[in-house]
Amino acid sequence: MKRKSVSILSALLVCLTSAVSFSAETIKIGALYPMSGRGGLYGQDSEAAIKIALAEVNAKGLPGGRKLEAIVTDDQSKPALAVTLAKRYITEDKVKFLYGVVSSGAALAVTEVSKEYKTIFVGSDHAATDLTANAFQKYYFRVSNNTYQSMAAGALYMQETKMGGKIAYIGPDYAYGRDQIAELKYSLGKLGVKYEMVGEFWPKLYEPDYTSYITAIIKAKPDVLVSGFWGGDTVAFIKQAKAYGLFDKMKYFHPDGGGNYEVFAALGAECPEGLIMSARHHNNWPETKENRDFVEKFKKATGRYPSYAAEGAYAGILVIAEAIKKVGNADDTEALVKAMEGLKVKLPEDPAGFTSYIDPATHQMVQAQAIGVTVKNDKFPPAKYMLGKFKVYAADKIMATQEYIDILKKTKK
Amino acid sequence: MSFEIFISQFLGGLSVAMLLFLVASGLTLIFGVAKVFNFAHGSFYMIGAYFSYQAIALFDNFWIGVVAAALGAGLVGMLLEICFIRRISGREEEGAFQILLTYAFILILDDAVKFIWGPAYKTITKPESLSGSFNFGTVTMPTYNLFIIFLGLVIVVSAWYILSRTRTGKIIQAASSDSQMVGMLGVNVSLVMTLVFGVATAMGGLAGAMAAPLRTVAPGTGVEVIIDSLIVVVIGGLGNFWGALFAALLIGEVNAFGILWMPQWASLLSFAVMIVVLIFKPKGLFSREKGRKKI
Repeated sequence: MKRKSVSILSALLVCLTSAVSFSAETIKIGALYPMSGRGGLYGQDSEAAIKIALAEVNAKGLPGGRKLEAIVTDDQSKPALAVTLAKRYITEDKVKFLYGVVSSGAALAVTEVSKEYKTIFVGSDHAATDLTANAFQKYYFRVSNNTYQSMAAGALYMQETKMGGKIAYIGPDYAYGRDQIAELKYSLGKLGVKYEMVGEFWPKLYEPDYTSYITAIIKAKPDVLVSGFWGGDTVAFIKQAKAYGLFDKMKYFHPDGGGNYEVFAALGAECPEGLIMSARHHNNWPETKENRDFVEKFKKATGRYPSYAAEGAYAGILVIAEAIKKVGNADDTEALVKAMEGLKVKLPEDPAGFTSYIDPATHQMVQAQAIGVTVKNDKFPPAKYMLGKFKVYAADKIMATQEYIDILKKTKK
Repeated sequence: MSFEIFISQFLGGLSVAMLLFLVASGLTLIFGVAKVFNFAHGSFYMIGAYFSYQAIALFDNFWIGVVAAALGAGLVGMLLEICFIRRISGREEEGAFQILLTYAFILILDDAVKFIWGPAYKTITKPESLSGSFNFGTVTMPTYNLFIIFLGLVIVVSAWYILSRTRTGKIIQAASSDSQMVGMLGVNVSLVMTLVFGVATAMGGLAGAMAAPLRTVAPGTGVEVIIDSLIVVVIGGLGNFWGALFAALLIGEVNAFGILWMPQWASLLSFAVMIVVLIFKPKGLFSREKGRKKI
């Protein structure tokens, strides 16, 4: 009896060590995403995209035959929880990379952990410019556009299409909403575009009812309503504003996150025509093989088309794999940081003839931005409208200027 | 300010207030009668929207969706009351348990919705007959928002009739002031509690279905309405039905005109009103002086 239990024990031990030796071969990535509540969609889409990217890079192989593995945990977009989880990833799971994070608030907290533990943090999706400016630290990299880039492209669009005159702004009353209009004003000022602000409206994030804002905006009679909403708030605002005829009275301009696919999927046939919007990734632009393949693979894996968050989550894994290949291992963090600076990676969102790369100075991915107008397009159901008539702004024209970074350093210490 | 703009802002505020009232009235009713602080009340608003989405997908009719939302949310509400809330009632540690239990409902219902319907935003279209709008001079008012105001008034009048003119209403009122005494008089108090829970959560579900064509249907939306509803219930006086109506109207209109005159401070207004009310009337505007009776 005793012998039997010993043999079971030794068998167990063999199993355990084999599990350990197996996990020693994988390179772990600790991802943090909201997996529940309003932001849950972005977490789930990011996880699906990470799986697609991991399958691709592991199939191609990494130095030493090692494989990349990602652990995804729900950070509920809460900074304190994200910090706890990030520390646990580093000390207990021994991850080599921190990854993801939708909320800029949580990302600003996680970047401190990354700095303290000298662990690389590859950010996807969160957009606060601060992370690659005043809150920059060398272990942080961002693989999707920040709000500065979107708003700089927005300013160029306004200049090109002679949009200006009276402007009103509505955006969520926290850093994301406040930063967008400040950055747009800065870029418009640089370009010398003339405008007059006739109102700024600050509903709280996830405000369910915009009725009173809509009537107040109509009363302010702007020529252009600039919008800084995010996710489901865009859907609610557009549905409510449409019934008031707001879109017949002014242009609607939403250059950071208005044209997210999930907004079109939710609006369906109710989406008004002629809204001017952009997103960090479009399912129907650029019309390259890489983008089509990515969108189709995602659809096949999940049964739905990806929201904007998916491509950023996909991109980061490619970046990590490329960096490891360049260095030859995943253990030399300093060498990985050096390898990632200036790293070029061909991504689904890259237009033909352009390859995204990481700016060595700020660790921000340098990418083009396409702004379009809503037109009928039912190729990506349940959406009935998508963006079309794109105007594309070159990646190097929309990067945060040193002057702006200095302003942030001074004002946002 | 021209008269037209006043009307437009006022009606807008009224439609916001009515949806707020539909959720808050249920919350306050449950507190008043069952003495349960139902943190999860917003989640019934959320599942109402999803039930309505499902029914519309099956039957292609908005009104069947509204009925399904109210019935579905009401049934889930009664089930949770029978299976869980009833078990902790009267216990010494009831207060803390209520918070833990109803908070757990929020998480469970959120995840249940995500498992069944997925994380993507769902869309519900307004019925054809209500999709137009009226024009008052230069001001536009959507028919749907006017209908919500009308529906809110119908519910207020029926609630007044049921609570003050019927035997059921009188039992509910009596149970609210002294449920033990009502029990001694031969009324099945636990049945009353279950029914009140059912009606209150059904109203939450109805609000969810009515709001769905205007708002976002997504997991987690319940938490967003519960904060405003809590403010309304606190201003009106915990457990006071008419207080909830008055407070919903107050918050709706203060926000409507606040956004017009001082948009920079708009998101603070509800809290400011609550603070002012609590300074002068700590138990809410319509509180009964004696407050909650301790047995």
